[in-house]
Amino acid sequence: MECCGPGYSSPQEAIKAPNEKLLYTIAIYTGTGIQKPDYLATVDVDPESPTYSQVIHRLEMPGIGDELHHMGWNACSSCHDDSSMSRKFLILPGVRSNNLHIVDTATDPRAPRLHKVVDGAEIKGKADLSGPHTVHCLGSEIIISFLGNAKGEAPGGYLQLDKDFNIIGRWENSMGNIKFGYDFWYQPRHNIMVSSEWAAPNTFMPGFDLEEVGHLKYGRELHFWDFEKKKPVESFYLGEDGLLPLEVKFHHNPDSTHGFCGAALSTNVIHWWKDDTGNWKWEKVIDVENEMHPEWPIPLPGVMSAILISMDDKYLYLNNWLHGDMRQYDISDPHNPVLTGQVFMGGLLGKAPKVNGVEVAGGPQMFQLSLDGKRLYVTTSLFSTWDNQFYPEIREKGGVMVQIDCDPVNGGMKINPDFMVNFGEEPNGPSRCHEARYPGGDCTSDIWL
Amino acid sequence: MTKHTVTITNRSNTKYEVDSRRPLLDALREQGVDLPYGCKYGGCITCAAKLTDGKVDQKRQVALNNRQLSFGYVILCVARAKSDLTLEIGVESHDKLYRNPFLDPLKQHELKPDIATSEEI
Repeated sequence: MECCGPGYSSPQEAIKAPNEKLLYTIAIYTGTGIQKPDYLATVDVDPESPTYSQVIHRLEMPGIGDELHHMGWNACSSCHDDSSMSRKFLILPGVRSNNLHIVDTATDPRAPRLHKVVDGAEIKGKADLSGPHTVHCLGSEIIISFLGNAKGEAPGGYLQLDKDFNIIGRWENSMGNIKFGYDFWYQPRHNIMVSSEWAAPNTFMPGFDLEEVGHLKYGRELHFWDFEKKKPVESFYLGEDGLLPLEVKFHHNPDSTHGFCGAALSTNVIHWWKDDTGNWKWEKVIDVENEMHPEWPIPLPGVMSAILISMDDKYLYLNNWLHGDMRQYDISDPHNPVLTGQVFMGGLLGKAPKVNGVEVAGGPQMFQLSLDGKRLYVTTSLFSTWDNQFYPEIREKGGVMVQIDCDPVNGGMKINPDFMVNFGEEPNGPSRCHEARYPGGDCTSDIWL
Repeated sequence: MTKHTVTITNRSNTKYEVDSRRPLLDALREQGVDLPYGCKYGGCITCAAKLTDGKVDQKRQVALNNRQLSFGYVILCVARAKSDLTLEIGVESHDKLYRNPFLDPLKQHELKPDIATSEEI
């Protein structure tokens, strides 16, 4: 069936899409000492282009100090049947400023332009929310998780915008007993949404006091929501196995109930699914061991700040930001992942201080996979204050974007020697790149109804 | 209206007059001082500066732990001058603001004021 709405009719169709030629990543100056706005960088990822592996455009935000972080589309494959919708706008929240920047990427995909700013103060006033994080479209509307109220206290909630980016108000009918917010993903055929927990903005924004984990200032639960009723119905206490449960991802297959969460500090992957009796279950399926740094008193966790599932649901990718490795697991049997690939880039253990001739400050942090599962783009900065704690040299060196070639048939990962975007050499000084997205949709954006 | 003088040592000891009722971030930015900031409610640490002399009221800040407070850090977006002040500003003043918690753990009394226990004697 030929359709005029955004995205693809199924994950299988998405895999067949043409290779990405452009990629957008946010780059920050917040917390670097350079008094310039954060910006959206367009990176040329077409190997045939003369400007391959370079930043070809920079769209500065109107203000300083936003801390751009994650982003999301105004529309995805969930609107594939709606010819009135198009994937035209990228939404860039500022975690610190609370502003939502609406960027038009369709008029000129190489040179995105600012369409509108939803003022952070208006969001505080109308919805009592701050600390925006994950953006998902919801049919023709948009919901965004916020980690705090207007004073930066947990648990925050969800802001709903209409398709023209007007504030509707709070999306959820209840936060139940949820203590913290962070990421969320939903699977409409099962009327389920899963949300995870980082911490209150007032806790995580100033930096990471590890000691506060023991004082229950950081999350350790996963929450299952009745998506239509917009309220949490069941929570799983993950305990020591699930400290800082951050990114949540369902299988792309809309019929599947399987999903995964990366618990950053425990450095574990949690798997959930609905069993034959209709009950939600969870188990730990990957446990990355702590490593000892020769000179430090406390064992060093990997810090798995992100996970990603390939569009064919065969591979799960994860990072260990402090150890410095990216890993690929075959999750054909979601109960028993098998490690099939691993590369090091940066990290605190000194295993790969240089990649393609460039000294890497930071470790693998955010990543985006091509729809065909062959090219993984990885950046190195986590969050300005946390970068400054663990990788102070990133101030002078900036972040990098690396591309890893992945084998989607037999497994395996290898750093592409021809690709390196060094944000240490940006015209206004070293900046730090973070999340990346492609104009046509990517492996962390689309949901099928 | 009480006025105090703020001296910024890492800006050639430039002096500014500020109103004791207004947050230092606003009072200094209005006079052309280029300062980093983020949340503007005392929660995110972006605007931290180091106070080397004088007194401020920063009851509303929730970003700093007791170790950072003991080094003299102040959160300019909510701090108000209670006397003449001497400040170092910007990230050049952040040398002791950030620490790797695996290398350099906090003691119980060095946590944020709302969860710290009193120092053992």
